[in-house]
Amino acid sequence: MIPDDPQERQLLIAEHVLGLHDPQRRQEIDAWLAQDEEASRLAGHWQEHWLGAAELLEPAPLPSRLWRRIARQAGVAPSRWQWVWQSPVVWRTVSASLLVVVALLLGPLRQPAPVYTVILQAPGEAAAPGWRVTVSASGDLQLIPLQEVAYPRQHSVQFWTLQDPARGPRSLGLVERGQPVVIPASQVGEVKSGQLFELTLEPPGGSPGDRPTGPVLFIGRAVAL
Amino acid sequence: MDDISADLEAGNALMQACAGGDRQAFHQLYLNEAPRMLAFARRFTGESACADDALQDTFVQVWKNAHRFRHERGSARAWLYGLLRYRLLNQQRRSSRYEVGHLPDESWPDPGLSPEQCSLADNDRKVMIECLKTLRLERRRPILMAYYMGLSYEQIADSLAVPLGTIKSRIRSGLKGLQECLRL
Repeated sequence: MIPDDPQERQLLIAEHVLGLHDPQRRQEIDAWLAQDEEASRLAGHWQEHWLGAAELLEPAPLPSRLWRRIARQAGVAPSRWQWVWQSPVVWRTVSASLLVVVALLLGPLRQPAPVYTVILQAPGEAAAPGWRVTVSASGDLQLIPLQEVAYPRQHSVQFWTLQDPARGPRSLGLVERGQPVVIPASQVGEVKSGQLFELTLEPPGGSPGDRPTGPVLFIGRAVAL
Repeated sequence: MDDISADLEAGNALMQACAGGDRQAFHQLYLNEAPRMLAFARRFTGESACADDALQDTFVQVWKNAHRFRHERGSARAWLYGLLRYRLLNQQRRSSRYEVGHLPDESWPDPGLSPEQCSLADNDRKVMIECLKTLRLERRRPILMAYYMGLSYEQIADSLAVPLGTIKSRIRSGLKGLQECLRL
């Protein structure tokens, strides 16, 4: 039963938004809110204010399987051909094959410069490649996203390489979410087999210093082809 | 327009696009909102699998019912959290057992907020945090237990080993205090 007293009604709404009532009482109050515009607006105000408490929580990294489950159940999952087109596994195979073909074709013509590839993976998640790096014979580097990853909006993602541990990591610039990046050879410098590349989460605009400050999102080592 | 207002506006626009069947907007809404919602669900359930299930169910419902979202009644984000809490509460009440994790104490909100948290709190909803901080601990704690953990009056009384009538009285007094502070 919904009380007549305005103050009691207001308290009832505050309790309801918190979820303090049993299911039967909740249904009763929901039915009332559906009919009473003013009461419904007050419930909405409480919900908006409570967002302040929710926003104090640190965002959690999303498991990649979660979106696949949601997309499948909601009926928005890509078709088989779309899946093939977007699959990192397919692209890894195709690009590795192309690199081999290019290397084989160019090999006899001139002294081959090393060509490298790096698969950047989330730490501890070998089955989930996030980005692919290719370094061409001319030394230009290309960074290509393989999956969509949720980054907190208020942060930047920064690309680093570590060639000489004694000198520490060197920034290769900021990366836009989901956007491929091409970095000229002059900026990349010499690349060696086993050289480390990583993406870290940094404050807006990037690390304030010349070293990464945030957690490592993706990491991998250069492999010569 | 500050970052939070822009975020909320973006959420509203994405939700409206979802209502029109825009799949990319749905995915973007998920990417923008799900990380913190997942953190909330994990705090609520104390368990990853249940939190994932509730979040999955919430977003599936969002896609199916986006046309029911009414901007004039509040933000898309508030609607999302309302849907999520509803599912979490149902899960909680269906299960006979519940676990109480770290209880909010005098140090709430946690000391040493990150710059991001400070900037997030620097908006209208900062008022809620400030109002909660004005409540005496014996009133604030059970209210936060209800919000973050979804506990009922009986479960809170049981956890704190305080008579049910006393807990009801403390929560209602706390809510009255919040209502006055928030000028609702």
